[in-house]
Amino acid sequence: MSAVWPASRAAVRRRRLQTVVIGVVVALSTTMILVALGLLAAASGPFDQAYARQRGAHLVATFDRNKVSDTALTEAARGTEVAAVAGPFGQATLDLTLSGPPLSVVVVGRGEAGGPVDRLNVWEGRWPDKPGEIVLNRNPVTASTGRGAPKVGTTLTAAGDTKLTIVGFAYSVSESADAWVTPAQLTALHPTATQMLYRFTQAATNAQVAAGQSAVTAGLPSGALLGTQSYLALRAVATGEPNTFVPFLMVFGWLGLAVAVLIVANVVSGAVVAGFRHIGVLKALGFTPTQVMAVYLAMISIPAIIGCAVGIVVGNVMAESLLTKAFENYGAAGVGVPIWVDVATMVGVPLLVALSALLPSLRAGSLSAAEAISAGSAPRAGRGLRAQRWLSGTRLPRSVSLGLGLPFARPARTALTLAAVVLGVTSVTLAVGLGKSLTTYQTAASRAGAVDVTFFAGMAKTGPQMAPEGMPPEPTAKLSDPADEALLRSTSGAQYVTASADLQMRLAGTKQDLRFTFYRGDSTHIGFRVLAGHWLDGPGQVVVSERFLRQHGLSVGDTMNLVSDGKTTQMRIVGKALYNSGEEVLSNWETLALVAPKTRANTYEVQLKPHADIDAYVKAVQTGDTGIQEVPGQEAGTFVAIVLATVVLLTLMLGTVAALGVFNTVVLNTRERSRDLGMLKSIGMTPGQVTVMVVTSMAALGAIGGLLGIPLGIIAHRLVVPAMANGAQVEVPAFMLDVYPAGLLALLVLAGITIAALGAWIPARTAARTTIAKVLHNE
Amino acid sequence: MTDDQGNEHAVVRLTRVRKEYGEAVALDGVSLEIHAGESVAVMGPSGSGKSTLLSMVAGLDRPTSGSVVVHGEDLGTLGEKGLALYRRRRIGMIFQFFNLLDDLSALDNVALAAQLTGTSASHARKRALELFDELGIAGRRNTYPAQLSGGERQRVAVARALMNRPAVLLADEPTGALDTRAGEQVMDLLLDLNQIGQTLLLVTHDEHLATRCASRVIELVDGQVARERALERTP
Repeated sequence: MSAVWPASRAAVRRRRLQTVVIGVVVALSTTMILVALGLLAAASGPFDQAYARQRGAHLVATFDRNKVSDTALTEAARGTEVAAVAGPFGQATLDLTLSGPPLSVVVVGRGEAGGPVDRLNVWEGRWPDKPGEIVLNRNPVTASTGRGAPKVGTTLTAAGDTKLTIVGFAYSVSESADAWVTPAQLTALHPTATQMLYRFTQAATNAQVAAGQSAVTAGLPSGALLGTQSYLALRAVATGEPNTFVPFLMVFGWLGLAVAVLIVANVVSGAVVAGFRHIGVLKALGFTPTQVMAVYLAMISIPAIIGCAVGIVVGNVMAESLLTKAFENYGAAGVGVPIWVDVATMVGVPLLVALSALLPSLRAGSLSAAEAISAGSAPRAGRGLRAQRWLSGTRLPRSVSLGLGLPFARPARTALTLAAVVLGVTSVTLAVGLGKSLTTYQTAASRAGAVDVTFFAGMAKTGPQMAPEGMPPEPTAKLSDPADEALLRSTSGAQYVTASADLQMRLAGTKQDLRFTFYRGDSTHIGFRVLAGHWLDGPGQVVVSERFLRQHGLSVGDTMNLVSDGKTTQMRIVGKALYNSGEEVLSNWETLALVAPKTRANTYEVQLKPHADIDAYVKAVQTGDTGIQEVPGQEAGTFVAIVLATVVLLTLMLGTVAALGVFNTVVLNTRERSRDLGMLKSIGMTPGQVTVMVVTSMAALGAIGGLLGIPLGIIAHRLVVPAMANGAQVEVPAFMLDVYPAGLLALLVLAGITIAALGAWIPARTAARTTIAKVLHNE
Repeated sequence: MTDDQGNEHAVVRLTRVRKEYGEAVALDGVSLEIHAGESVAVMGPSGSGKSTLLSMVAGLDRPTSGSVVVHGEDLGTLGEKGLALYRRRRIGMIFQFFNLLDDLSALDNVALAAQLTGTSASHARKRALELFDELGIAGRRNTYPAQLSGGERQRVAVARALMNRPAVLLADEPTGALDTRAGEQVMDLLLDLNQIGQTLLLVTHDEHLATRCASRVIELVDGQVARERALERTP
């Protein structure tokens, strides 16, 4: 086999263009495959690994100490559904003061960091072993270490005058508490609740966790359970964004792989055909069929392996960047592509390329020397004759009709190129649809267009309220709340005015703060789309998002206990609206009256009459109240921007790969037909006509590819968007799927033609510039 | 073609044409004239510059220096498109290996030359059929090149070359790939064409072809005109 290597190297050198095309195609495809596989493998990895290591609680439950005893809770947890249990632990919600305003934290009394459930990772300092000591729950990756951040040794003040010294930092992936003290210390802090941590034998689904919850609360007094937190909700939050990426990345990855295989098969078979004489010479020199096959396999494998290596490096960089972004809030630092993905890609992609090269290589090996030498490089005569005859009689310009007939001369090559174009158009169709769905969703969710101008009046001095980002927390409006609303309504141009106040509340039994917005006035005109249930029309009502419902395992019609300033208020979910936040809850002024009756509105959303001058309106309002400030409009979400950027990038990569396939086909065709092209020029075909002929031959494939690829792209869109929405915990309204109007479909047919024409243009121009004398005399 | 005094104008005029390919000189100051209705054979050993000279006249290649004027058109002033239009209107070419398109029928191969000028398919085919009749291959019009004999292919090639009524018919070893009988037939055809006024420029190694078809022979050696002689055509 010693002769194989030099012959292979010579073949690679002689076919520089094809070698580069194979390398680039394989590199781009490998990048897409690796990003898709890496993301899929890592999407739930960090959370699951951390949860398994800590034996995280499947259910964190909080009970009312006044209604149920520790003994009863321990007895209730003896069922067969429970694999492990920790607790009962005393729990209190305290205001801890370090410097500045007090922080409301959930403190649990635990004797040890380990145990059968929720084994805490004490990553700095130690566990408290006597009263007066506290350990804070901090993610080791995201914990702030800057000025003002609590450190080991810092003393906090709790419940007025109790001093607690920080002796360590621990991390609970179950998010079971904000801080821990010894049980004795917690008793001194007067616990109001009891915490139980459960691991169930079956906990893969919400239903199984709910069944476990029913088992451990069976027989307990009514109202004893204050709240629960399922690990599936934490998992959903941790993996939500990556899960959104995965479906479309997988589709793009598989599309990329299919295009790569088709193009490599095309390139290799073309190389064999173009190399008939070369094969004949090798055989005449004494190469065996196996050696000839080995030469052709090596010729393809060398650029494929280099392309694969480049693709793996680029894919790792892209995947790590996406994963770090997606998991940064979760604290999964250094999340990368698992090594098995790299190994599988490194082995699988070249293998796939070699397999696609095997068939034509076998053919190369089986040709006899005389057959190969005499075959030459022109396509076999007699193919597509009927098509050519019919085309020559049409009224089309001859350069066009000749071009339309060219694909019939090489049906197998044409089929492979067509398949690559079909997949390219499928990708573009999917990407355009995905982009439209996301922007449509973003527009609807951000209520763009529903509100012309928003004013910020400043926060009330009472209650844990939040100012919008970039706005001062103190009140700025000079007029009272009713006066401001009257001013906004009476100013010329106003059509609808909706006042709102923001308030932070906590779902009982969890440590998650929720942002409530209470609306007053024309709230039905501020652009929220109600997807289920109804809009707010009475006290004690809230409207939430699909994401909120999923993260908390709730449904429309359920009731929640919300805590603010130590006061618990019961609220019923009456509707589900289109927005994508798991922490925001919408309510009305009547409900606010139950929670914080004296709160003033801090925000006013105004819709103006058609053609009203926004600047004039704002100026008039700010003349009436010099303290009221205009809030900048909504911007597109970061996540949507990332997805759109990724879609554009992957589409460009796939489009490039498909265009490279066309490029390669045209290079092969024009080289094989150089004699014909020379003859056509000798009888007066102009360079422009040669270009038209060659580009037409591929544009026709592009048009057919468009017609076939569009329905495939639409089907992919119908599959990917709901899968993405499911990953992002978003409802998919019909308008998110109906994104292909007739005009757009017509434009998408052009995408196929454009891919084909772009791929064909350079080799067509090169063919048009061929020196005829050289071609015709080199017989 | 004559001027007011009845002097013949040259249809082809080469003036001190030089062509270099890198270091190699293919033509070295060649000057010659071919008049309307003449049949000129260019002969010489391999590498003497015969095919290069033909390429210059056909506008397939450009001289390094000197000028080529055909039918009053200075090819040096024409761009690529201009040269293509020139080839379409002024010349017809016949090659040693026919250069027919394998996937077009004989008729469509011939009609193609007219269709490139914008002639409709039906008109082009009608004109092609006339030529097929004249050349005695009407029965083979729907046959594909691979199914034709060498002589038939060359007749189809001649028909294609005549399609646009060229001022000059250029032939590069037109009998070089044919057997003796087919070669004789092609020679007869070229002779007939010349006798009805078609200007011919032949490049050949074949003394018999030259003496049969040409009225003048130009011999090239090392890219230069070594000898020029008038011939009495042999029957």
